[in-house]
Amino acid sequence: MKRYPSALAAIAAASAVALAGCSSPASETADPSAPVTLTVSAWNLDKTPEFNALFEAFEAAHPNVTIQPVEILADDYPEKVATMLAGGDTTDVLTMKNVIDYARYANRGQLLDLTDFVAELPTDKIAGLEPFDIDGKYAAVPYRQDFWVLYYNKALFDAAGLPHPDHLTWAQYGELAKKLTSGTTPDGQQVYGTYHHIWRSVVQAIAAAQTGGDQLSGDYGFMKDQYSLALDLQNAGAALDFGTAKTQKVNYRSMFETGQTAMMPMGTWYIAGIKAAIEGGTSSVQWGMAPMPQISAGGETATFGSPTAFAVNENAKNVEMAKEFIRFATGEEGAKVLAGIGVVPAYSSDAVTAAFTALPGDELSKTTFTENKKVVLEMPVSEVTSDIDTILNEEHELIMAGQKSIDDGIRDAGERVKNEVL
Amino acid sequence: MTVTTEPALRTRRPPEPAARTRRRSLRPTLVGWSFILPNFLGFALLTLVPMVFGLALSFMDWSPWGDPEWVGFENFERMLRNSTFWIALWNTTYYAAGHIPLTMAVSLGLALLLNRTLAGLGFFRTAFFLPYVTSLVAVAVVWNMLFNPTSGPVNQFLQFAGVTDPPGWTSSTAWAMPAVIVASVWRDMGYYMVLFLAGLQTIPTELYEAARVDGANAWQRFRNITLPGLRPTTFFVLIMCTVASFKVFDLIVVMTDGGPGRATKVLSQLIYEEGIREGRFGLASAISLVLFLLVAGFTVIQFLLQRRQEDR
Repeated sequence: MKRYPSALAAIAAASAVALAGCSSPASETADPSAPVTLTVSAWNLDKTPEFNALFEAFEAAHPNVTIQPVEILADDYPEKVATMLAGGDTTDVLTMKNVIDYARYANRGQLLDLTDFVAELPTDKIAGLEPFDIDGKYAAVPYRQDFWVLYYNKALFDAAGLPHPDHLTWAQYGELAKKLTSGTTPDGQQVYGTYHHIWRSVVQAIAAAQTGGDQLSGDYGFMKDQYSLALDLQNAGAALDFGTAKTQKVNYRSMFETGQTAMMPMGTWYIAGIKAAIEGGTSSVQWGMAPMPQISAGGETATFGSPTAFAVNENAKNVEMAKEFIRFATGEEGAKVLAGIGVVPAYSSDAVTAAFTALPGDELSKTTFTENKKVVLEMPVSEVTSDIDTILNEEHELIMAGQKSIDDGIRDAGERVKNEVL
Repeated sequence: MTVTTEPALRTRRPPEPAARTRRRSLRPTLVGWSFILPNFLGFALLTLVPMVFGLALSFMDWSPWGDPEWVGFENFERMLRNSTFWIALWNTTYYAAGHIPLTMAVSLGLALLLNRTLAGLGFFRTAFFLPYVTSLVAVAVVWNMLFNPTSGPVNQFLQFAGVTDPPGWTSSTAWAMPAVIVASVWRDMGYYMVLFLAGLQTIPTELYEAARVDGANAWQRFRNITLPGLRPTTFFVLIMCTVASFKVFDLIVVMTDGGPGRATKVLSQLIYEEGIREGRFGLASAISLVLFLLVAGFTVIQFLLQRRQEDR
């Protein structure tokens, strides 16, 4: 009996604390000038100048806000964020690196529903919003809309006496690549005609975009020609072989910036990277941009692309400020900041186009940018996207490393997708 | 680390009635438990409870966003239908079958070599142990460079030695696992070498002298003195190596990421992908249950074999 009062007192104290916690007001009351620290996830801050540019511009417009970036290595970004969210991380703004990861997080309810927020935005001016529509709901807004082009090294072309790659077909592209594979860079590295990065999109997404094939279907015969070309160039030595690129973790930026490759299909996000490298003095590459090679000449340029977006964490602490950041970054002010450093914003207006000065001055680069083109989404969004992505990636590795024939790889990819996923 | 002290010498006491004897013998038990309790609490909360929970989770469908849902054997059915599971199971056994004997042989050999007075013995022992404490990422990157099919030193040496078509190592499905096994044997040999060295030093040298006097040669001495004397150490090393081999994850992920294709994908990696990346924690728990049974099965077999040998 003597022990009960102290136990009762303990219970009373604990419940008092709990009740006090419950009755405290919500943390987001309307005090707009209260100092706020907003956490935003980002990758490779020094190589991706858009983040710091946006953060600084936002902090200048909102003096009470300090943005704390959560920097993650780009290669590990999807898995790191997935792990963070699985562990209940509270980072306020989450950058959606590609639509596939967005679909994953959104389907898991890890992102705050932004449908009402999006309804208030000038959505007619924001390109690339459709992929973020899942069953009529939005959980992210794109701030950047990239598409794939062909980067080329003007100096290497001029030295070989070849015309710049203007609106090529894949056959012409292959021949040029073989002709341009000669010599070495000043550092003694071999020069390749072209460089295909290890991502499966380099072969599969462009095939899907140009033939109309569906990467979610389980029928992948439409990829065969593109694989034939890629393997042919690799076997002829005109492109660095996949096995070396993968096991040595080759960096596509250094391949192009050190002049080890004359051509490189890559996304427009790289414009800001080259610009930063040249301004920072680490590279002196004379670069140009051309449209992606097409299957046959004369038609509309078809390429693939992907928007990059900001989303709000379901567990975010500063929801209102996070939304304010997204409104800024995806609106005209953010778009002007992005255009100024050479990133292609999702928001388009005349003011934004005027601010885009990062392109090299030649006509071909400008045309590549402004001409009418068909931009297909890199990978369709659905519940099965992530699993199909894994299967396609594994078969891509086997085909490109020469461990399976193209026909076997395509057939196995289709069978696995149909049996295990669909 | 707690330091146990000898209990104080008890003075003789007159015999006591039964009830008090029972209470008195409870006290040492309680004292014993209170010593174990901190460590056991940590083990229980951080290891035992999650393990039991993981077992329950394998019968549920519980993603990080939804509510748990009891699905019975559905996760196991799904796992058995998944071709990647069988590939990962085969790869894990392949890796273990390659890694365990090689590591034990190499580390035993090193221990025998370094169990004598040599000039620079400390240096050699340190040098062989160093790979175990080197950063794993550095190990993977350097071995990948060594195994580069076109410009790596390994293939260049093989071509110099007359091999016309050297293997593709980590870019080839057939040779990726051997490449990983070589790198991991190199990495682990130092650790088990130290264990074997400790075991070797418990064998009394008089046995060797007596054997030499009786005319036994080196191989006979090894077979009849060293190996039996090392039996407890060998048993321990075998258990540790088996458990570590079946659980391998870090080296594979950093060196080949399960590739090319799925040639080096192991069960732990599959658990990580299904659980963390895809959010299918129920399925991941089912796979980890299979891994647990695999490791436990092998360990039990080894214990039984050891006991039978001891009884002989």
